[in-house]
Amino acid sequence: MLPLSLLRTAQNHPMLVELKNGETYNGHLVSCDNWMNINLREVICTSRDGDKFWRMPECYIRGSTIKYLRIPDEVIDMVKEETSMKNRGRDNKGGRGGGQSQRNRPAARGNFGGRGGGGPGNKSGNQGGRGTLFNKNKSK
Amino acid sequence: MASGLDIFVNHTVSIITTDGRNFIGTLKGFDQTINLILDESHERVYSSTTGIEQVMLGLHIIRGDNVAIIGLIDEEIDNRLNLPSIKAEPLNAIVH
Repeated sequence: MLPLSLLRTAQNHPMLVELKNGETYNGHLVSCDNWMNINLREVICTSRDGDKFWRMPECYIRGSTIKYLRIPDEVIDMVKEETSMKNRGRDNKGGRGGGQSQRNRPAARGNFGGRGGGGPGNKSGNQGGRGTLFNKNKSK
Repeated sequence: MASGLDIFVNHTVSIITTDGRNFIGTLKGFDQTINLILDESHERVYSSTTGIEQVMLGLHIIRGDNVAIIGLIDEEIDNRLNLPSIKAEPLNAIVH
């Protein structure tokens, strides 16, 4: 599972964001992008020492300033549902290849040259298809 | 063959961040910038006077910029530790 997929799933959920400078921002995630830039609503900002507080209706945080994000535990279960739905769609279309196990381990893509190969099931399927074509031609 | 972090996924890991903190949790995922998903995580706060204190935190995304060390934890050995009796100075933050 990718950290940014989890973050995307956490949209509309409350979260705590700690910045590299130690400030923390509590609020609801409105949106995020591939650089981890985020939009929060109904925010409470806490100073580094936890002694000063600021309330603001919304704020935008540059991703590169973030140290970590704390998100509600239940969000991780919602990601699984989303990815498995996607997989089902892809498998039906028979596109691209790549089995479920591969999608769950992103680094595997780079190592094994993901795209082409796909899972063993997919590969044998393709070969099988071609094979039957040849056989038909021969028999005719 | 498998790139470093693959073998850590779904295992208990210890993360040391550049600000000198220590997070323990189950590694659920990572990406090319070493952003991490830590599930059921807690922080171990070291002290030379009162021993190690554990702070429960839950689900975390740690940005890769702040990760210094990721280590696999042998749960069997870890469970045998008596944390409150271990006294140690906290780590300092990395100085650039």
